[in-house]
Amino acid sequence: MKIIHCPVNGPRPLQEFYFGGQLRAVPTSEQVAAMTDAEWSDYAFNRDGSPGIQKEWWYHTPSGTWFIAERDIVTDGFVRTYLFDQADQESHNDG
Amino acid sequence: MAERLPYREGEWIDRTQPVTFHFEGVAYEGFQGDSLSSALWGAGLRVLGRSFKYHRPRGLYSLAGHDVNLLVEDGERTNLRGDFLPIADGLDVRAVNTAGGLKRDRLQMIDRFGSLMPVGFYYKAFHTPRSLFPFYENQMRKIAGLGKINPEALCRPSPKDYAFCDLLVTGAGPSGLAAAIAAAEAGLRVVLAEEQPQAGGSLQTQHARAPQTAEQVQQLIRRASELENLELRCCTQVAGYYSDHWAALVDERRLTKLRTRAAVFASGCIEQPAVFQNNDLPGVMLGSAAQRLIYLYRVAPCQRAVILTANAEGYRLALDFVEAGIPVVALVDLRHDGESSEWGRLVEESDIEIFRGHTVHEAQPGPSGHSVRGVVLCPLDGDGHPDAIGHLKLDCDGVIMSVGWAPNVDVAYQAGVRFTYSDQVGQLVPKECPPGVFLAGRAAGIFDLENQMDSGRRAGLQAAALLDSYDGVIPPAPIHRGPPPSHAFPIFPHKGKKNFVDLDEDLHLVDFKNAHHEGFDNIELIKRYTTVGMGPTQGKLANTNAIRILARLNGKTINETGTTVSRPFHHPVSLEKLAGRRFHPQRRTPLHTLHQELGAEMIHAGAWLRAEYYRDGASARADCILHEARQVRHSVGLIDVSTLGKLQISGPDAARFLETIYTGNFSDQPIGRLQYAVGCDELGVIIEDGVVARVGEEHFYVTATSSGVAAFYRDLKRWALLLRMRVELINATGHLAAVNLAGPQARKVLTKLTDLSLAPEDFRYLDVHRGCVAGLDALVMRIGFVGELGFEIHVPTSGAQHLWRTLMEAGAAQGIRPFGVEAQRLLRLEKGHLIVGQDTDALTHPYEVGLDWAVKEEKPYFVGARSLQILRKQPRERTLIGLVLSQDHGVEECHLIVEGERMLGRITSVAHRTTLGMPIALAFVHPDRAREGTELQICGTGGVPISARVVPLPFYDPDGLRQKLKD
Amino acid sequence: MPYRLLKFGLSSEYSEPRMFPVQGELRDAYDVVIIGGGGHGLAAAHYLATEFGITNVAVLEKGYLGRGGTGRNTAIVRSNYLTPQGASFYQASVELFKDLSRQLDLNLFYSERGHFTLAHSLASLRTQRWRAEVNKQLGIDSELITPEEVKQMVPEIDLQCGGHQPPIHGALYHPPGAIARHDAVAWGYARRAGEAGVEIHQQTAVTDIEIRDGAVCGVHTNKGFIKTEKVLSAVAGWTTEITQMVGLRTPLVIHPLQAMVTEPLKPWLNKIVVSASLHLYVSQSSRGELVAGASLDPYELISMRSSLDFAEGTAGHLIDLFPMLGDVKVLRQWAGLCDMTPDFSPIMGTTPIRGFYLDAGWGTWGFKATPISGLTMAHTVATGRNHELIEPFNVSRFSDFQLVGEKGAASVGH
Repeated sequence: MKIIHCPVNGPRPLQEFYFGGQLRAVPTSEQVAAMTDAEWSDYAFNRDGSPGIQKEWWYHTPSGTWFIAERDIVTDGFVRTYLFDQADQESHNDG
Repeated sequence: MAERLPYREGEWIDRTQPVTFHFEGVAYEGFQGDSLSSALWGAGLRVLGRSFKYHRPRGLYSLAGHDVNLLVEDGERTNLRGDFLPIADGLDVRAVNTAGGLKRDRLQMIDRFGSLMPVGFYYKAFHTPRSLFPFYENQMRKIAGLGKINPEALCRPSPKDYAFCDLLVTGAGPSGLAAAIAAAEAGLRVVLAEEQPQAGGSLQTQHARAPQTAEQVQQLIRRASELENLELRCCTQVAGYYSDHWAALVDERRLTKLRTRAAVFASGCIEQPAVFQNNDLPGVMLGSAAQRLIYLYRVAPCQRAVILTANAEGYRLALDFVEAGIPVVALVDLRHDGESSEWGRLVEESDIEIFRGHTVHEAQPGPSGHSVRGVVLCPLDGDGHPDAIGHLKLDCDGVIMSVGWAPNVDVAYQAGVRFTYSDQVGQLVPKECPPGVFLAGRAAGIFDLENQMDSGRRAGLQAAALLDSYDGVIPPAPIHRGPPPSHAFPIFPHKGKKNFVDLDEDLHLVDFKNAHHEGFDNIELIKRYTTVGMGPTQGKLANTNAIRILARLNGKTINETGTTVSRPFHHPVSLEKLAGRRFHPQRRTPLHTLHQELGAEMIHAGAWLRAEYYRDGASARADCILHEARQVRHSVGLIDVSTLGKLQISGPDAARFLETIYTGNFSDQPIGRLQYAVGCDELGVIIEDGVVARVGEEHFYVTATSSGVAAFYRDLKRWALLLRMRVELINATGHLAAVNLAGPQARKVLTKLTDLSLAPEDFRYLDVHRGCVAGLDALVMRIGFVGELGFEIHVPTSGAQHLWRTLMEAGAAQGIRPFGVEAQRLLRLEKGHLIVGQDTDALTHPYEVGLDWAVKEEKPYFVGARSLQILRKQPRERTLIGLVLSQDHGVEECHLIVEGERMLGRITSVAHRTTLGMPIALAFVHPDRAREGTELQICGTGGVPISARVVPLPFYDPDGLRQKLKD
Repeated sequence: MPYRLLKFGLSSEYSEPRMFPVQGELRDAYDVVIIGGGGHGLAAAHYLATEFGITNVAVLEKGYLGRGGTGRNTAIVRSNYLTPQGASFYQASVELFKDLSRQLDLNLFYSERGHFTLAHSLASLRTQRWRAEVNKQLGIDSELITPEEVKQMVPEIDLQCGGHQPPIHGALYHPPGAIARHDAVAWGYARRAGEAGVEIHQQTAVTDIEIRDGAVCGVHTNKGFIKTEKVLSAVAGWTTEITQMVGLRTPLVIHPLQAMVTEPLKPWLNKIVVSASLHLYVSQSSRGELVAGASLDPYELISMRSSLDFAEGTAGHLIDLFPMLGDVKVLRQWAGLCDMTPDFSPIMGTTPIRGFYLDAGWGTWGFKATPISGLTMAHTVATGRNHELIEPFNVSRFSDFQLVGEKGAASVGH
């Protein structure tokens, strides 16, 4: 079983975690208001599921900790994990 | 019993302990320490099993579980491997897959029709006419398959074990022992897994004849046992290797899940057969099997041996036979040059006749076809082809093969090691090892004993260095010198077409040629077409030769040809070991025992057990439920709603946060008030509903669905992060119990027990107050889910039973009764309240279920708002309506509303017997059929049409007077 | 005994013709390039050639035929879907499957066993009834049955699940549910397509797709550039690589799905048994192995690695249903890739890029759709217009907020 490093609880087995999908820039309410229907449906449905290193949400269930992992979705190798902060969100927005 | 060879140090059998067992109904004797295979061979039996397809007689072949010639069943268990099965008094087994017993297997006639069944024949026949295929399939299914299951067999689940170590060493042969000892001496915690009953590996067989070997084995084992941080586990296979050094170890009793930090695979080699005519006859066996028989079990492999070899090992084998007093008729060397080592010289000096540049072209069966009578030798030409002109016949009863090896590395492959074929060694050798994974000994292509030990030590020290336990010198990697131990192509065509490549699957050489001819020219394609390697041993004796054959057919190298992928398990693992004892936690509310005392019928509701209804004498279930519901309508009832999700949400942004999560407004919700709330996902689909109580300026108490709360809470945590909200979230579901006291008499009952004023003006409908109830600190909410005056009382779980008992006593005068989930569902249906997940589905949005009022579109933002804007513009395809049914039976939830062939909608909730005296339902229908008074047709049970009329919702008390009851 | 067997016995030389022709060099241009030599791509090639007369077609496969989902699924064919769109589509597939052995002249071992979806809760029972009712409206043979009826047809089953699971409340029974020899489906289509003139190039990987003015104009491969105006992507678990090449955004994410087989046993299980609540499906192959699988792996991964958790969980659930299997041994476990959509329905047909056709979103339901997806995609590629059966599955349904609600049925989709 895989070991995932929770930034709060350290290395724990996969069973304790929940995968929360790709980290995506969540538009602000102003941005949402300015979006066309097509832009919104693109945000709501479409994902970047292509191979490579992906930033994604993981949740450590016993402690209720959400955090971000950078993981290669082809090799299943975790590059790093860290707590979410807004800076990350914004840099992601830019990217 | 046939005589065993005289006692020799190191033998595994205990001659003081004879064992009697039964095979195919006949009693045999063996010794403690024998496997079923060794005991039967030792008793002189030659036919041990029948092959999968042709039912050919098969004998002892690898004696290492690398073949499945001896597969047995005992009525309880099946497909047991004779090579691994220890004999014991009382053991009573039969061979699998025979018709009428092993000796007179009626299906052996299939062998004669082999030519009618070339590779893939079943793809070419039986499918026309279509009507006959089921018949043919049935026949084929009966013939296929191995063991029979016993439908009465008991499952014996065993607990699983979790273990941890620094280094897992697979294989306790010379290199594995050396690796484990070196690593343990450097301070690592080492687990050394060996699938055989005793450590020593090839030292006990291949090297056993050397006088100093027995002492050497003892020394190594002694040293290993001295090291407290080294655990030797025999009879333990490393069955699979998974992510992050997670290994599955399986022994006779259980599965051990081992987390290691590094691994050394010193798993040795699997000896590979030569392919010649009748190479599967009982009496034809691998050299390593013969050595196991001789040195471990002291059984003579045969009386007159022909040894077929292509390496030094075959010469050593000949000397083993000589020492055991078994005549070797001939030593047949595929190589024209023969053997130049010391063993070559020793054999030359003996009176064994050596045939260089020859092969065994055919093993000839005795009259019964059950044993070897002799062999036909052929000289090989320069290209390695047998030349029938020079053939020669010899009498013998055993053909012992030592033509090469394949590394036993399927598990190392799973650990990430990648291999390349080396012509110098004649086998796959490691090309890349992932961090923390090492190979040693013959698994790494190192054959000389000293080198094997050195490579083991080196791997152990490398692991220690990687884990910062060793900073000394790492000895250099030994390399293989001398001729390759494995012959490049020990495969010989024969017109008889019984030269087997895969014994599990009864595939012979021509099958490969034919499959290739048909275009299956890729290793994976040929595997799937011929089924090579798909049998019980997963091709342990077949894959190597199959790749060689394909490479030659394609005119490519082994490396160009590639290998198939190795997958768990190494040897098959039983379901009960994998399953272990299963734990299925069941959530019970703190009132569970009371429900049982009250005669509740319990049902599973997600992870929870809930009271479905309370049995009442001999009354039928439906009567009990209706009675409970009526009690609530007319007097007062009490229900355990502790399974409700309960969230505490507090902080400066709490109200704003709730407005983001739910579709409603919360900022202006007064303290002490409740409101119904609906939550959507980003696509606008309803995922949650509940009640939001404002208990303070910055404090909210929220109920959520029992099954959804865990996921909902998880979502809320993330939204709080994403939206930078200053909120604190607590999932109090398990901390608090809750009951709902409902009915026109509820106020009367509760008044006696609380310091709260329940006067209608003090405790209004949708008020929430904190106060003391039955001496407990409680949160009391006045709600109307069931459509009556009702108080939902939330208390710490520790007080739940006290609360319940006190309420029941206080309500005795009013005839209070407990009611269960079913009555609650009925009552809410009458009230037209929907249940998320039952009256909604994975696409339902609020506008389809009459919740438009709950969606505050003017809010700047909430989850799902933007999607709802889009959905709102779309023509509505369905809407949730109320129906009164024309009859009180025959309609079930999810029955369809139809109009001819058109599907107009679906019943989502139904109640045939209600307190209203008429059968009702909630249903989705197309909006153009939703008008009040519309008559609809339901396709009821058995397809019977049942009519129904659309009525306004709710069915009961449309003005909500009951729940707002003032006196 | 069939004549064919005698023929094998009587002829001294191996009389079988090549199933797949030796493929020459890749040519410079084709009318249609199909990416993916699995069942779907090969079926589309076959129908393009035989139904629409388009034979200047190349199927490009980066590995070997049937390397992906085709050879990794648990080979179940059924049409008892929840939505009318889904059920009609798969019913058309079942109809094609029934006669496919004859059409392809290859015995696909299409074996109608009957398919049970067990319900362990009232909620699940409701869903199964919903499926049954929709199916019956569409003329599909499906029925909700009682636990006793389950026991009658599968006497070995433990309705109480040994107390480890909620008891079986009933089941959806779908008599036409079948299993087939999955690899052979790909081979059969490949052979027929090849006979019709389609080229099948294995070990040929697409590295990029050339788009000009919003239309496909060619395909780059590891063996050079090919000019073409029509590309069909039929690569399921590898779709996100291809859509990235053309800049098409989709909801697809890839999850592994695992399965395992036991050692061969004499026949005892004649039905296909699926438990939605236990996330388990099992059938017995014609070779006698029990083939069992579970639900998707819980996180995105484009890798076919195995996990021990899967084997442990699936073993436990098998024993919950069939306690006498405790001693039966698991031979092998493996994994495949599933390209998942949010509504558990495929993405098929035209795309905003002219000449680029998508056959994807096959999740856990791809094998059973092989013939019909081949036929409808061939129609779509040949005519440039979506076949009516696949209109609901177009990629535009996401931007239109017109999902196909198959997800409700599928806590396990086999």
